[in-house]
Amino acid sequence: MLNGLDRFFRYISLKQLIIFNVLILVLILTMTVGISKGSFDFSVLKYFTGNLTTLEEEVLVNIRFPRVLLAAVVGAALSMSGACLQGLFRNPLADPGLIGVSAGAALGAAFSIVMSAEFFPDFLFTPYLLPLSAILGSAFVISILFIITRGFGFEGMTYMLLAGIAINALAGVGIGILTYISDDAELRGLTFWTMGSFGGVTWNLIIPAIVIILSTIVWTLRISRKLDLLQLGEPEAYRLGVDIKKLRFDIIMSSAIIVGISVSLTGMIGFVGLVVPHLVRLFGGVNHHYLLACSALTGAILMVNADLLSRILIQPAELPVGLITSAIGSPFFLWLIFRMRKK
Amino acid sequence: MSIEVNNISYSIKDLQILRDVSLKIKKNEVLSLLGPNGSGKSTLLKIISGDINPKSGSVLFDDINLNNINIIDRARIRSVMSQSQDIIYDFSVKEVIEMGWLEGKEFITEKFDNALYKVGIECEISHLFDKSFNQLSGGEKRKVHFARTLIQMYNRDFETKSRYIMLDEPTANLDISHELQLINILKKKTLEGFGVFIILHDLNLAYHFSDKVAFIKEGKICAFGTPDEVFKEKILTEIYGLDVSFDNSTKKISYY
Repeated sequence: MLNGLDRFFRYISLKQLIIFNVLILVLILTMTVGISKGSFDFSVLKYFTGNLTTLEEEVLVNIRFPRVLLAAVVGAALSMSGACLQGLFRNPLADPGLIGVSAGAALGAAFSIVMSAEFFPDFLFTPYLLPLSAILGSAFVISILFIITRGFGFEGMTYMLLAGIAINALAGVGIGILTYISDDAELRGLTFWTMGSFGGVTWNLIIPAIVIILSTIVWTLRISRKLDLLQLGEPEAYRLGVDIKKLRFDIIMSSAIIVGISVSLTGMIGFVGLVVPHLVRLFGGVNHHYLLACSALTGAILMVNADLLSRILIQPAELPVGLITSAIGSPFFLWLIFRMRKK
Repeated sequence: MSIEVNNISYSIKDLQILRDVSLKIKKNEVLSLLGPNGSGKSTLLKIISGDINPKSGSVLFDDINLNNINIIDRARIRSVMSQSQDIIYDFSVKEVIEMGWLEGKEFITEKFDNALYKVGIECEISHLFDKSFNQLSGGEKRKVHFARTLIQMYNRDFETKSRYIMLDEPTANLDISHELQLINILKKKTLEGFGVFIILHDLNLAYHFSDKVAFIKEGKICAFGTPDEVFKEKILTEIYGLDVSFDNSTKKISYY
């Protein structure tokens, strides 16, 4: 662990180190504001001095804090997965949605929303059913991608992208059928879940999620150097001693895990994984030690802010957070395509 | 101390690409591989560098079968410069060269700085280090990739193990002065103990700076030896199906 940290700091420049530290400060600040503001405001400081009413404490500990924490972790997860996939595919437009991982998770989750009431009416583990079937969904997509692209060697990436398009379409069909056969209550649940929200999370659900996502993020940071070498092209990276198949497997597994969990807990939150890595590259460079770590931090900051906006814009009602990220992200996506065309 | 290529054959489905190819790349020597387009030159380089496995035959690095050397150790004894594709993201020139540095943990060390300084001087690219790689000209990009290929060989086994550089048409889209500069660096490297395996198209260039030349046609080696042994009008004419003349007084090859 210490060795890994030492390596991390050796690989990033002074400017990048400063950005890294500033981002940590901003994240702490943002989370403090995110916890304090909402349908009613209070000061976090009061919690430590013990000056909160019982109601305030209830809101802080069981509603605000888990919600802000989840927003930060999901933002970090989606952004880092986006950065990894953009590196792996060497395509600046790559994103967890692109290769069908999010869609697979969504199909799994939709299946459990519509079907669980019929098959497991009083099941003890019902809260865990949604994340579990979402992870299964994304893992299923990954396995299919693997089987399809196995024989293609160095050219596998292109086929994987094409397979991703097909899988996205197939998952769309599945969700469409589920929408059609669902009753009114299920349809409502499905629709709101699809737009994404951080509301209604509970500690027993998010603690395992946070532990798994954070450890996967830290584990993924170790492959930064290999992702750098991969930018030379797969044959070149192989000649420099990078085991391409293992690298591909590692990145896809880590993305499946963190995206699967994120999607199951919060629904489809689009464009974060696409936008954040580009912002981070604009600030301070493209090497992956810096990019992955700072994408995670920036993603967390942006997501906490987006969630805050979703809570306070139309008080006391709430906007789906996916609506906000897409509203910011899609113009950015267009700008990106426009800029690429000019090049 | 050499790379021995023994009876290599390679085919894709029914198409025979290499037939029974044998070569020897010696330390302190430049071996040039020439031949018409589609004769199997790049495939042979891929097999010797370990990218693909031959259907039959073997490649030995200093008497050890290539299959028994793991990919990390391979990177320490041979570096390959191919016709690289573009890099999508905006890496600096220095970062691109650093990618060839295999001693990850010893990143900010005197050793690395020395190696970087050395390749910077050799390839005359020191003034480009802080520039963005994508803003360089085509020729400058080639030189940066060449520098990366060189720095890969200055790893910690530098003094003890054999080192080989393999290049696939490195002089494509270089002007004549940069072409000569690159060739001279390679020549100097052979004096430092490197073995060089290079695919070329330019007959005159190959004649004047190679220690050994191999001609390949339709997947078969049809001539292998010192330049003076193989640069015969009859052999060249047969290989290229074109009247090639060789002027013995000026040592120039002409074909038009």
